[in-house]
Amino acid sequence: MPPARRELSIRGTSVHMLSDGAGPPLLFLHGAGGGGRWLEFQERLAKTFTVLSPSHPGHGGGSPTAEWIEHISDLAFHYMDLLDDQRLPRVHVVGASFGGWIAAELATMASHRIASLVLIDPLGIKVDGWIYPFLFGMDIPEVVATVFHNPMAALALAPPDQSPETLALQYRQGTALARVAWNPHLYDPLLRRRLGRIAAPTLLCWGAHDRLAPLSPCGDTWAKEIPGARLRVFAESGHVPHLEEPEAVAQAVLEFCRSEGAS
Amino acid sequence: MKFYYFHLMPYVMEHDEPSSWVTLSNRFYDPKQGQILYNQYLDQLEYAEALGWDGLCVNEHHQNCYGTMPSPNVMAAMLVRRTSRAKIAILGNGLPLRENPLRIAEEIAMLDVASGGRVISGFVRGISAEYFSTGANPTHSRERFYEAAELILRAWTEPGPFPENPLRIAEEIAMLDVASGGRVISGFVRGISAEYFSTGANPTHSRERFYEAAELILRAWTEPGPFPFDGKYYRYHYVNPWPRPIQTPHPPVWCPSQGSSETVEWAAKRRFPYLMVFTPIKRIAQIYGEYREACQRHGYTASRYQLTVNVPIVVAENDARAAEIAKKNTMWVFNTGLRMHPPFWRPPGYMTEASLRRILQNPPPLPSDLTFEQADREGYIVYGSPATVRDKLKVFSDELKAGIVCSGMNGGSHEATLEMMQLFAEEVMPHFREDAEVDETAGVGR
Repeated sequence: MPPARRELSIRGTSVHMLSDGAGPPLLFLHGAGGGGRWLEFQERLAKTFTVLSPSHPGHGGGSPTAEWIEHISDLAFHYMDLLDDQRLPRVHVVGASFGGWIAAELATMASHRIASLVLIDPLGIKVDGWIYPFLFGMDIPEVVATVFHNPMAALALAPPDQSPETLALQYRQGTALARVAWNPHLYDPLLRRRLGRIAAPTLLCWGAHDRLAPLSPCGDTWAKEIPGARLRVFAESGHVPHLEEPEAVAQAVLEFCRSEGAS
Repeated sequence: MKFYYFHLMPYVMEHDEPSSWVTLSNRFYDPKQGQILYNQYLDQLEYAEALGWDGLCVNEHHQNCYGTMPSPNVMAAMLVRRTSRAKIAILGNGLPLRENPLRIAEEIAMLDVASGGRVISGFVRGISAEYFSTGANPTHSRERFYEAAELILRAWTEPGPFPENPLRIAEEIAMLDVASGGRVISGFVRGISAEYFSTGANPTHSRERFYEAAELILRAWTEPGPFPFDGKYYRYHYVNPWPRPIQTPHPPVWCPSQGSSETVEWAAKRRFPYLMVFTPIKRIAQIYGEYREACQRHGYTASRYQLTVNVPIVVAENDARAAEIAKKNTMWVFNTGLRMHPPFWRPPGYMTEASLRRILQNPPPLPSDLTFEQADREGYIVYGSPATVRDKLKVFSDELKAGIVCSGMNGGSHEATLEMMQLFAEEVMPHFREDAEVDETAGVGR
């Protein structure tokens, strides 16, 4: 069965949200290019959780740009607003890549509202000895080679066609990302020091072959900075293990939430 | 021992104000007097070389009568061409005072190359008062200084913004305007797409920053200082640049652009001439039409000197020879000079979504794909014998009614270029001189 599509207005900002499943609420924050898509990973989580999968404003699924979003913390506040709007005092949060960055910002502000936190190859912090490759300067094949260990997995995010309409929507997504991530590229200089505030139980999932944010030094740094965080590595994945090994990553999320007794 | 001639370029005056820095209103600055002083001071520096000094020093201070050299690089640039032996010690640049240190690296490298390696580059933090007059945060000063110095040194040595502090731009243009006796025309541009990759500036803020910076610069030139400016991107408690420009109310502003409807509207509203660069004739005609309409909407008729064009010109003894040169030298500009990694053409958010959709309906060819035949057919270039070039330029003057043609030439060698320039000046230019007595900047661009 396809997920329910809902159009929300969160403090005046239009949001397109997919949701499905039953059980405790789980907020999934997608990565760049993942907006408006319901893929195997979400489908698997929906067997145990009520999965809420909103598109970030401007990021696909037809959600319009929100001009007021100019900093990553704006997105974190936006998701606090969304939780308030949905009357959800406490949820599981899973964020992948760019979505992981938002989830981490959110957790530094409001850990008490997060039952458990899963970050899948998150971006967002300055890591000593690493400069994130500049995604905006890459053509599509370069992006695919940087993000995916298994390029076939990229097909899930491929645009339907090359029509002007599709290209314009892609441009809108790139613009929404660039507004908060052009320079500094893919990080908030203030976030790393704040990760120590995260009190929610945290699982870090990392692709062994991530070339955008490699396990060493990026994954290691996150594991060191978030108190008590556990790190699991996925051997057949690049930057997006939830797309490259959806079953294994979904299983890891279920196990973690269960072990934390919070589900 | 070596002797260097050091100049502050002061604006010597008596006053009863509590401070000669930051708040001493630039109403006290008389640009006419400034022109005399700049030129006397430059004469002195040039004379120092003739008399045997080994080096000439310029320096940097902002918003005061103590030293009217907010940009030492501007003064160094003038000296580079008027001297040949002396070292030129640039005893700025205040690294933390500029937003983009790469801009400093670029400017010093330009001066160094043009002077044949006579440049000495100072790195300073700027004295205390400078942090009031530039709006830079003094608590970051040391850290920014170290980071900027490292970046500049790496830019110079490792093989390989531009959203510069706009007040700095206001200062530099005003210096040039005063020193030249009011001959400066100031272009305001956003920079082409690739510039957002090479400077790190965020393209999604580009348009908004452009408008805000332009507003700040125009106000800095025209409103007596000091006044505060509290924008979204630029914030100052004291806007009070010394010198003020000599042209009133300010140097004419031109807008070189590719024809985005937002920029057409903005330029027309402010009477800023619109410069179409490397564009096919049909599109020039269309954009000129939109510009003229916008001017009408704003209650005036566009002067022909508001419609300008940049088109490469090749003139030779006959059409065949000109075609040969154009194929080789002019097409290089498009095919090689403008060859770009595709993502660099379209940084996210640089264009509005509306502009992008318009382009996607009818995408123009990439310059690297442009053939000579297409460039010829669609009027990207002008080439031929003097008679042919005259005929082609008549299309610009009589049909498009462009008032100013900006163009460079490339004959293939320095000597051939000089010859081509001479041929153009003798055989083409005189046929378009019915407006010889008109000042093309009178009443436009401001």
